[in-house]
Amino acid sequence: MTARPSQGAQMLGSLLVAIAIVAAAIAIVTAHFGPTSSAELDAREERLEQREENIEELQELEEERRERDR
Amino acid sequence: MEDLIEDLTRGNVTEVKMLLATVVLGLAVYQVLLAGVAYGWLRPRFLERGSASWTHRASGDTILVLTVVIAVMCIGYSGFEDGGAHAVVATILLGVFATKVLVVRLGGRLSRVLPLLGVSLLILFGITWLTSAGEFLGVG
Repeated sequence: MTARPSQGAQMLGSLLVAIAIVAAAIAIVTAHFGPTSSAELDAREERLEQREENIEELQELEEERRERDR
Repeated sequence: MEDLIEDLTRGNVTEVKMLLATVVLGLAVYQVLLAGVAYGWLRPRFLERGSASWTHRASGDTILVLTVVIAVMCIGYSGFEDGGAHAVVATILLGVFATKVLVVRLGGRLSRVLPLLGVSLLILFGITWLTSAGEFLGVG
């Protein structure tokens, strides 16, 4: 029959299992979301919108210039 | 309060809540297994009742702190209005959790209801998770 681990080893082992559960939960959830935070995604979306607005504005200015030239 | 929560989570309030809730659910399952060992219902060769009981308390304290943090984030950021079934189950969960802590502190004859309270808590944690994080993660 195998000897039972000491009480200290049991406590440490059971705590390590708890830490492993925490690590696994964090890994599973973050893997689902991906490496990018929602704040970064929002900022990226905002930059894209800003760029589109700038392009539209430039196009409008271009059209206005053409009309004036005629 | 909303701004504070936003700042602390850097705008990832939902993600942080989901992460903490999943950690709590994982630890809650482990808690029931440890309680099974502590009560002598499960008898693994590598873990004695005393050690299981000690870890059960340490892990339980962690769960309590995390649950309070999640509850503050939920109520402070989203409020009760749009919570639906999640808000109702979570409120019951907090009540049962408070009762369990009280029973542990009081001890005596009341200790007999601890297994029932513990299993009820696991079920409530499961339902609360399914109605929030589970939905976002495509499980609920």
